[in-house]
Amino acid sequence: MDPPIFYSKAEFIETDTGNKVSRRATIAGPQNIILGGKTIISSGAIIRGDLRRTGPGHAVVISLGRYCLVGEGCVMRPPYKTYRGNFNYYPMKIGDHVHIGANSVVEAATIGNHVEIGKNCVIGKFTIIKDCAKIADNTIVPPNTVIPALALFSGSPGRFTQDLPESTQEMVEAATKTYYTRFQPLDR
Amino acid sequence: MAPSIHYHCPCLSSSPVPPPPHLASSSCSFHALHTLFFCEECDAVRCNRCVSVEVSGYYCPNCLFEVPSASVRAEKNRCARNCFLCPNCRNTLSVVPSDPPEDDGRSSIPLSAIGEPPFFLYCNHCRWDSAEVGITFEKPTGLAAQLQRFEDSASDSLEFERLKEHFEPFLRTSSLSSSSHLPTHPSHHTRTSSITAAASAALARDIPGVGRYNTANPLGRSRGKDKSVNKDEMPEYRSRVEIGASGMAGDAEFMKHIEDVGEVAGLEQRWINSWKSSLQTSDLKPLRIPLHSKVSKRCPTCTHILIKPEQKAQSVRYKIKLVAANYLPAITVALPHMQTQDATKRTVAKSTPDEDKGASATMYAGKTYAFHLALTNPLYDPIQVRLSVQRMHVAVSSDGTIPEKARRPPFAVSLPTSSFTVAAFAEAWEYEDDEDMFGVEDDELGLESPRKSGKDKDGRGKTKTVGVLEKKANLTVVGGEVVIGKEARGNVKFNMLVSYTYRSDDPAPPEDDDVPRSPMKGPEVKTFAFYTVVDLGAISPKEVLQVVDLDF
Repeated sequence: MDPPIFYSKAEFIETDTGNKVSRRATIAGPQNIILGGKTIISSGAIIRGDLRRTGPGHAVVISLGRYCLVGEGCVMRPPYKTYRGNFNYYPMKIGDHVHIGANSVVEAATIGNHVEIGKNCVIGKFTIIKDCAKIADNTIVPPNTVIPALALFSGSPGRFTQDLPESTQEMVEAATKTYYTRFQPLDR
Repeated sequence: MAPSIHYHCPCLSSSPVPPPPHLASSSCSFHALHTLFFCEECDAVRCNRCVSVEVSGYYCPNCLFEVPSASVRAEKNRCARNCFLCPNCRNTLSVVPSDPPEDDGRSSIPLSAIGEPPFFLYCNHCRWDSAEVGITFEKPTGLAAQLQRFEDSASDSLEFERLKEHFEPFLRTSSLSSSSHLPTHPSHHTRTSSITAAASAALARDIPGVGRYNTANPLGRSRGKDKSVNKDEMPEYRSRVEIGASGMAGDAEFMKHIEDVGEVAGLEQRWINSWKSSLQTSDLKPLRIPLHSKVSKRCPTCTHILIKPEQKAQSVRYKIKLVAANYLPAITVALPHMQTQDATKRTVAKSTPDEDKGASATMYAGKTYAFHLALTNPLYDPIQVRLSVQRMHVAVSSDGTIPEKARRPPFAVSLPTSSFTVAAFAEAWEYEDDEDMFGVEDDELGLESPRKSGKDKDGRGKTKTVGVLEKKANLTVVGGEVVIGKEARGNVKFNMLVSYTYRSDDPAPPEDDDVPRSPMKGPEVKTFAFYTVVDLGAISPKEVLQVVDLDF
């Protein structure tokens, strides 16, 4: 029913697991980034996998689940703080079916499954977003905020606005899957 | 705006027929499908407006602690742990330690993990901190308990406690008497009426002005009746604290010497205080975070549970979840002329910029447009669907004062008249690998594009527009057509009755029944009908330029 969203085939790299990553996105430290599969990284997005925790060994900096979308011009940056005098970055974990609108800046610690983040949002450091929450467009979520499950947050500072319907999970899941199937290459 | 479809819940009126769509108030009766519930017992749609809601658990939205309902009242519906709202901007406050002593220089590493006392609350958004208002803590835990004594000694909470004590004996007696008294009361004057009447009577005595409003109220009548029965005889309440007069002078003095707007607390900041509070920003106190609740929902008529969440506060699963989306076919509306324009915009935007600009996704008066309705069947059995447009009931209106113009809708909608099938939902499609889905998608695209382009060429929709256009898995797309009158204004918005027949899930009568079911009859079928409102978007007045463009 919905028309496909075309992208130029030359611009995107498709991985074995169906991730589609724009060549125009800035992916720093790709070895520290995990994409769950069928996740789309749009053009102009910046993902800072290079900001890793100090210390030896392999560190996952940013992990995204399945059917996620990082919108155009988004910045994904792991949160940082100085703890006991040591400056450090902390990993960012994002669940499945998470859509992040264009030009949002995300420094959350945890984002659950089925979360929708609107356009032009700022998600402050160490924010925890629970499952099925929704952040309206242009919301500023201050650092250390906790957003409970099935809550709609909006405004500056982002505040609880209303409860979302019980069927949010199914709705978001269907929407993210449809978006992925609509996102089709165009050879031209 | 994209075309939309909403489903009707008949809870607002006694008739099952929805109000005419051109009335603004009709939007109250229509809801998005995903917000609706379905009661199996009543075989009816329920909406958030009509379900009865009960709290099944409380939690703090910040620390996500699940508060046992026993302690909710004692804690005054607010989080009694470490969660506070900024009195300035309502952001959550965080506990921060003081800066480490400066003498060893920057290199010193604090030994304790929690930092140096005293601790204070700090807002990450507006930079308010509790040290400004003289609140600091010795340890960073149990802050609410540390603040408890301030809160308990506040004049408003003391006053409220006393008020409760004052009314307590009366409430007890009235709740006893009301059970015996109930039959004599008029039907829907509930038990609480005597209590509220008594309370308002007491209020009227104590606070000048309240009584004046009350007598104008219908409540005043019942109060009078109660007085005659001597039900509200109770001692006069005397407030402990005199409010008002003393504060005013201080406020005026403060306002005289004000240097910065920020010194005055905004109305929003003082709003939630139950007591008249100081005007000064420096007197604002951190607020404990109000608790949230999980709710279960019941059908208003049969009281069967429609929604029952899992106990865990942050779980998004439900023990019982009877949502309409699992029973009614989901319908989406699309205007193909809008989509083709979208597509052209994307692909060949450069070649035809003028046409692109002119042919925006609006509908013009005096033209005919096709629209698509895609029905998705959530049931495990195929359904037979019949669509019909509800006749406008404007003319039937009792007073007959409706102007001539409004009597007839300015557009005519044609829908497929015969019923059509929507195939059953099969779980397997859900898990089918996307590779296959691509195949389907591609085929479908291949089929669709020539048809679309063909229609583009002649521009009059000579291809088949009304009828079943496409079937795919449990999705059926049907086409409809709307003819817009020359003088039409407003939105193309019409009520549509959807009735569907399906094989009943109810177990068939057992075989040992005396009358064997006739083979002709087949399985038992059920029919369910519901109303929807379809909004195809606004009609633009006819543009000469546009017409020329299209003819060309």
